[in-house]
Amino acid sequence: MDVMLTVEGLEKSFKDKKVLKNISFEVRKGEIMAILGPNGAGKSTTIRNIMGIMYPDKGTITFHHYNGKGIPRNKIGFLPEERGLYKNVNVMDILLYLADLKDYPLDKARERALMYLKKFDLEGKDKVSIEELSKGMGQKVQFIASILHEPEFLILDEPFSGLDPVSQEMFKEEIRNLANNGTAILLSSHQMNLVEEMCDRLFMMQQGQKVIYGSLDEVKRKYANFKCTIHGKNDAARLERIDQVRRIEQQGDASVLYLEKDVEPLSWIKQLPDDLVIEELKLNRISLHEIFIDIATNKNLMKEGELNA
Amino acid sequence: MRNTMKVAKWEIKRNMKNKTFLIGLFLTPLLIIGFFVIGSLFDDSSDKEQTVELYVNDEIGLLPAVEETISMAGFDWEVEETDLSQDAVRSELEETENTAYLFLTAQGLNEGIFPVYMSEEMPPYFLEQLQILETPIKSVQLAEQGLTAEEMAIVSAPILFEQQAAEDEAKSEESRLERVVPGAFAGFIMLSIVFTGMAIFQSASQEKKDKIAEILLSSLTPADLMQGKIIGYFVLGIIQTVISLVIILPVAIWRFELQDAAKYLLAPELLFYILIACMGYLLFSAIFVGIGATMSDMTTAGNFQGFVMMLPFLPFLFIGPVVNDPSGLWAQVGTYIPFTTPGVLLLRLTILEEWPWIEIAIGLAILAVSIWIFMKLAGKIFKVGILMYGKNATPGEIWKWIRA
Repeated sequence: MDVMLTVEGLEKSFKDKKVLKNISFEVRKGEIMAILGPNGAGKSTTIRNIMGIMYPDKGTITFHHYNGKGIPRNKIGFLPEERGLYKNVNVMDILLYLADLKDYPLDKARERALMYLKKFDLEGKDKVSIEELSKGMGQKVQFIASILHEPEFLILDEPFSGLDPVSQEMFKEEIRNLANNGTAILLSSHQMNLVEEMCDRLFMMQQGQKVIYGSLDEVKRKYANFKCTIHGKNDAARLERIDQVRRIEQQGDASVLYLEKDVEPLSWIKQLPDDLVIEELKLNRISLHEIFIDIATNKNLMKEGELNA
Repeated sequence: MRNTMKVAKWEIKRNMKNKTFLIGLFLTPLLIIGFFVIGSLFDDSSDKEQTVELYVNDEIGLLPAVEETISMAGFDWEVEETDLSQDAVRSELEETENTAYLFLTAQGLNEGIFPVYMSEEMPPYFLEQLQILETPIKSVQLAEQGLTAEEMAIVSAPILFEQQAAEDEAKSEESRLERVVPGAFAGFIMLSIVFTGMAIFQSASQEKKDKIAEILLSSLTPADLMQGKIIGYFVLGIIQTVISLVIILPVAIWRFELQDAAKYLLAPELLFYILIACMGYLLFSAIFVGIGATMSDMTTAGNFQGFVMMLPFLPFLFIGPVVNDPSGLWAQVGTYIPFTTPGVLLLRLTILEEWPWIEIAIGLAILAVSIWIFMKLAGKIFKVGILMYGKNATPGEIWKWIRA
């Protein structure tokens, strides 16, 4: 696929603390690439460096298909993590102003603004002052502002934070649409379930460092081992003796068995001992969420070394 | 530059649609007019108190000449004839204010001394003003001596020693107006745009509070944003000036009888004065925009920020000393401190007949260099400060940004 952005060897320090260490990834046309990580991992700093709001100490940021100097600001849509709008102006004025700053034709911007307001259930709110909108409505307007000028490259920093589930779905659908229409999307989030459902590739980072980088399927195949959840009163020592079980977590009558990487699900189930108490059994892969929690809390669900594979 | 103009246009549009700004736009000149009117009310009431009632006991038939002389002099005196004797006058005066009795007696005409009785409360200089009656009385005296009209004219004419000025008085008055009118006009423009410009401060800190700074900076550079604000608020200041003038000028012309002053406005000096005023604006706007970016909230301004906000008022300290001695030490010091240069220079140039060109050149050079330095500093502070959320920057942090 067509590469839109390449970040290579990005390093950044605040005072004496290194907050970004050798960050490298690329974003391609028509894909949703997610930057994941716990709070303070360096996601927003990475994005701010890409946007030229900060300057990296080391490393390069290359926008392909752009010959000019600096950053192709007019081709980028940006929804920052720290975001808001002027309070005492009306919705259409601010949308047109932001589109104008991107050199987007105003009549087209007005047309698209009305279309998106309607799409996001804000029809008739174009003349309403921003301060009269609810927080969620304000976020929708900010989102519209970031995509109004048909950007080729869209950067969304925590786009879902503070949204209700209905609005989250709306955002998800629109982001997916944009990607399908060829927009390259870089999305940062710590809401794993949402990311898992929509991203094509992901870059997980912690303490300014890369932890995992690859396509969602690859990552799942590579890192997300199977786990087996058994409801029923079983002795931990008994469960440990089962083949290919790496670690057990028990809570009440429920036991979670984390399995080794190369487990064959079918044959593993067949070899379960006859005396196990099974009221319910579930076999699935560790979710992105669990990988994330694991990284964030520095626990090791998987053996060391595997993560850095 | 295009983005700068877009920001400037936006700032103008945003403010012109803002009710608070619009109210301020019209309220400011109305308040100034309010002060005029209140001032003139007080003036009128004090005038009324000063009206003098002058009773004349006329034995020599001079009353018509006295009335004519007083009305020509324009004194606020009411002249009435009385038959009261000198003995009765004393008791009559006990209960009165601003009342006097003049006895034009035949004896007085011979001796040159006329008795006057006054109430305790009298306007100052009443007796000196009364001296104006010397001329009509003198003519009666001389006529009695049998002089001809021509002889009388020569004898009664006072001997004067008149200084011969290089230009006549009317002309010098004219040249004074020629200087003062454009100077005062430029001073008004400067105050108006600098005070409107103080809103830049709020605009920058509000952008932080509303957290829109990062969204804007994804479309333009911090320099574009900062310059756009400076230009936008300059235009807003000019709009404020024009509206103020349209409202205030007619009242000022009526109040101070300045009907003729308008023709002095379009003097060549005006351009120079306006240049000084604009330089003053540029200096202060750079300071305001930089400091505004260091603050997350207007209400939490620290001492440092508060002190900076006082800088435009600094020239007021120099008004007294400069008016007393427009070429003195204070005037020179004020000319060389960049924060006071525009105000002090405007004041001095308005008062002085001979312009101190070397001092003007040095003062303006210092001002120009200061503008350049403060713009650079503001740029550095703005770039970092506008993205710092949640707290005000300390002077230490600001110093670090400047050095970075």
